[in-house]
Amino acid sequence: MKERTITLAAYFLFFAVVFALPFALNSFWTNRIAVYLVYAICAVGISLSWGYAGILSLGQGLFFGIGAYMISMSLTLAMPDNNPVPQFMLLNMEPNAPRDLCCATPGSFLWQPFQYLSIGVLAGILVPCVIAAVLGYVMFKRRTSGVYVSIITLALALIGQMLIINNQPLTGGFNGLADLAPLSVGGIEFDPYGKSVYYLVAAALLVVVLLSRLIVSTRMGHVLKAVREDDARVRYLGYNVENYKLFIYCFSAAIAGIAGLLFAVTSEFASPSLMSTSFSISMVIWAALGGRSSLLGACIGALIVNFIGSVASENVMLQPVWPIVLGLMFVLVVLVMPEGIAGIAKGWIAKLRQPRSLKEVVQ
Amino acid sequence: MNAILNISESDSVPCTETVLRTKDLTVKFDGFAAVNKVNISVARGELRVIIGANGAGKSTLLDLLCGKTLPTEGEVWLRDRNITGIGEAAIARSGVGRKFQTPSVFKEMTVLENLQVASNRRTGVFANLFSWRSPRPTDVEAEVASRTGLSDVLGRRASELSHGQLQWLELAMVLSQDPKIILLDEPAAGMTAAETDKTAQLLLDLAGSHTVLVIEHDMAFVKRICRKITVMHQGAVLAEGTASEIERNQAVVEAYLGSATLSHA
Repeated sequence: MKERTITLAAYFLFFAVVFALPFALNSFWTNRIAVYLVYAICAVGISLSWGYAGILSLGQGLFFGIGAYMISMSLTLAMPDNNPVPQFMLLNMEPNAPRDLCCATPGSFLWQPFQYLSIGVLAGILVPCVIAAVLGYVMFKRRTSGVYVSIITLALALIGQMLIINNQPLTGGFNGLADLAPLSVGGIEFDPYGKSVYYLVAAALLVVVLLSRLIVSTRMGHVLKAVREDDARVRYLGYNVENYKLFIYCFSAAIAGIAGLLFAVTSEFASPSLMSTSFSISMVIWAALGGRSSLLGACIGALIVNFIGSVASENVMLQPVWPIVLGLMFVLVVLVMPEGIAGIAKGWIAKLRQPRSLKEVVQ
Repeated sequence: MNAILNISESDSVPCTETVLRTKDLTVKFDGFAAVNKVNISVARGELRVIIGANGAGKSTLLDLLCGKTLPTEGEVWLRDRNITGIGEAAIARSGVGRKFQTPSVFKEMTVLENLQVASNRRTGVFANLFSWRSPRPTDVEAEVASRTGLSDVLGRRASELSHGQLQWLELAMVLSQDPKIILLDEPAAGMTAAETDKTAQLLLDLAGSHTVLVIEHDMAFVKRICRKITVMHQGAVLAEGTASEIERNQAVVEAYLGSATLSHA
């Protein structure tokens, strides 16, 4: 078998399992696994920017959180008791302010467009993209790279978190947005604990993985591989490396935004904790454990880490030490298996293939 | 008769056409002039060698030519275009190809993939986003591969190549860029005697059809390939001429007195 065939088979098997799984799960686990698939989408974005282009963003949570907030604003307004003004805003209003989105609280007019779900969805993808474009332009034009990119993105996610917490009348503050209507498109209502949301997420994962796979197999993906190895050398071949980094960074921000949208639909809330440092770092751990330069590996990493984490959180003994275990796992992966689970799998496949190719040589 | 004469005159112009020219090129690091008012010009088809002791400014000069370092003063002209400070990528696109001293190739990629990244003339993000990589080499890629003896290892990962092959791969990459001038920083560094011979032969093959500027330490190698030598000393051009002229040049001999570089030769 050729390596390509094996890779294809692995992808096929993975998605076959993903699509068959709900038939073996109760509604609680259907919802849990749907959330993990959302995380897998996020991990694909990290794999693209970190694994393929060498940009380690520790602020993906910012884009994820923005995606979640944008759609949550629309879903909040879709609740009858949040019309015309969300409940939390009523609590923060001046006594004589009009009960209207235009001027209920300072800045509440920003909510007006979100009366349309389509705008919430679109903003959840485009706003992360635009922020990534501006930030990426500033960083990459100045040739910021390596750990500095990580620190800057981390800081920006923290700023985002602070802005949301500190603007309670506008954002719901620390509590986030939790009074959401279920997603309903064209008469179909998506039930977070049913198969509908699960398949929505699974389909999104499939599309994101296919699209990413397509991108990395173009000439552009090839240049990216070269950039990851030695970006200075690529410049002397005539490429404007910044533009390549900018493109992939924006794309991965958009993916994180999509994941955020789906997270809000699946988990029925958006909160500032989505922009926390620990959550952004968790995302990187998923991708690292699964194998950062393998899109499928990153998906599997997200699923495994979160599944174990969820089992651990139900165990009284394990629960308090789980973050430590997770951190140790990350250190171990970086030191011992830099290509993660995917790297190990590739090693096994290569070993299995070796006797055969030796025979081919002899013949 | 006159007309024919005119044609032959204008025909002869490209033969002496200047490809690369520097004008008072200077770079100062904390006030120290690593390269000091250097004026060189390289004609089309020329194979020029720059020699000089360690710290004479040879590599810094190449850095200035390919945009890696910005000059404090002076200009670099490629044909009739001022390429000073337009950025490494734009300089490369305008036709300056550089091979680094330590082989700088993409080791996780195959030899063919390395050549493909180098030979691709469309460098924009979106042009490459909507174009597939071919599994087969183009004519240009096949030709430079055979020229550098890499035809049989096209499918191999660069990390599996020998040191000599890595040097040739980077040379092949630079060639496939189809540059107007090729800058080589010690192309035979770390090679075995046989590999050095092959590299010298390769450079002699290139002379005439390509314009090449080589930095070299090894005087035996220089004498094998050389037509015209530029000697650098303390950041400035000390002398220029053929190998025998250089060896007889009093200033050069004095500058190198006690230095092993020339006495080795």
